[in-house]
Amino acid sequence: MSGVRTIDGRDLQPPEPLERALEALDTLAADEELVLLLYCQPQPLFNILRTNGFRWQETIQDDGTHEIRITKA
Amino acid sequence: MHPNLSFEQAPPISVPYRFFLTAPWFGVAAGLLLAWLGEDAFASRWTPGILAITHLLVAGFMLQAMCGALLQFIPVAAGGNVWKPRLLAACVHPLLILAAALLVTAFLTTESRLFLAASHLFALALGAYVLVVGTALVRTPGQGNTLWALRFAVVGLAVTLILGVLLAQALGGLHSLSLIEVTQVHAAWGLGGWALMLVFGVSYYVVPMFQLTPAYPAWLAKALPPAMLGVLSLWSFQLSGRVDGWQRGVFIAGLATAGVYAVATLYLQAKRRRKVSDPTLVLFRGAMFALLAIFASGLLFVLIPSLGEEAMAPLWIGVLAIPGVFVSVISGMLYKIVPFLNWLHLQQLAGLTQVPPNMRQMIPERAITGQMRLHFGAVAAMLLAVPVPSLSRAAGLLFAASCAWLGWNLVTGVRAYLRFKGRILAADSGHES
Repeated sequence: MSGVRTIDGRDLQPPEPLERALEALDTLAADEELVLLLYCQPQPLFNILRTNGFRWQETIQDDGTHEIRITKA
Repeated sequence: MHPNLSFEQAPPISVPYRFFLTAPWFGVAAGLLLAWLGEDAFASRWTPGILAITHLLVAGFMLQAMCGALLQFIPVAAGGNVWKPRLLAACVHPLLILAAALLVTAFLTTESRLFLAASHLFALALGAYVLVVGTALVRTPGQGNTLWALRFAVVGLAVTLILGVLLAQALGGLHSLSLIEVTQVHAAWGLGGWALMLVFGVSYYVVPMFQLTPAYPAWLAKALPPAMLGVLSLWSFQLSGRVDGWQRGVFIAGLATAGVYAVATLYLQAKRRRKVSDPTLVLFRGAMFALLAIFASGLLFVLIPSLGEEAMAPLWIGVLAIPGVFVSVISGMLYKIVPFLNWLHLQQLAGLTQVPPNMRQMIPERAITGQMRLHFGAVAAMLLAVPVPSLSRAAGLLFAASCAWLGWNLVTGVRAYLRFKGRILAADSGHES
């Protein structure tokens, strides 16, 4: 893994977290990871990831933060 | 923009929008009916006029908005797939409009055939809706407290439907029932088991997301739906036709459960990370204060029985609950959901070449703020009209105007979508040629 890019969307109003995530996905390298922090489960993003060949792992932290780690499949 | 991504959003935008665009006009009809009936409407909760007005709001305004929102919410927030959403919406939407119109006309004319026709249509439309939506909610691999609450809400809708159909059939002369007791239980399931339960589930998702608050505590989010279900089950003992003294305690327990949710929401809003205010936040806050006012009023009516036995007591609670809580919450939610869905679907269209427009460009904020003020003015006027019925006509007109403005603001949002969509398609065809 050459690098990790993190987007903390917890203080951003929709659709800004999704906009930033899409911009990052556009240029995500094969050996890069995108970490997205949110207070909700971003189903619209999951649909986009599913249809564009990305895989992701989601964990929910104690404070309700959803941590989504995205890489190219 | 995003040249490497493809977008697929379900359901089509027309599915929720047909419900959203219809809902406010039932509110207009309710306001106009109140203005037409004047003082007579507020004589008691059992007058044909107030029953018609109530059902224009609950089976018209609220049901339209909530059915549309749930169809959108299941794929977006719960990760579920609704079977043929376009077909479901195309069948359920017109049937619900017709069923609500028939039911309201039945109350106003006391024509038994209309009650029977309305009951058949509601059974058909909502039966199909509960079946399809319930299946999607059971089969989804999603998880979390939003999904948990949505499942309870659909159970609440099913119970409300069954009791409502039985009541309409009884009014249509098909069989006899303890009308008052069954109505009490029907109303409680409709407002507490369906509407408020749906508001719980949607709030768990959208309050942190759009209002930038911390998440609802997981234990509370988990506990509220079964607590409300427990209260409603105890309340349903009235279906035997007997109302025991302990039911007063159940009534207060139900209002207290709603009050806990209201306090939690107000607390989270006070803790929001960016202290930006917008009409959705204010509408939500207004609704939460109305919920707390219902709890305080209910407590007062139980502690001072002579006050609780006044004809105006249930009317006071009804105005606080329906226009005060639910119309406020729904309006606030629509003002976020419509611009967001516009953006999401335009993003899909614009994916290859263009930047989609900003969400704030969809409905002018000044129009939203103006409508919100008029709405709260109308709610205050309706509350005043409970003890001072001579204000009913003015209150009805204010409410009709507020709902018409809401309807127009939503039309503005849809026109913005169509305008931007046209631009995107025109630019795309320009690139191709």
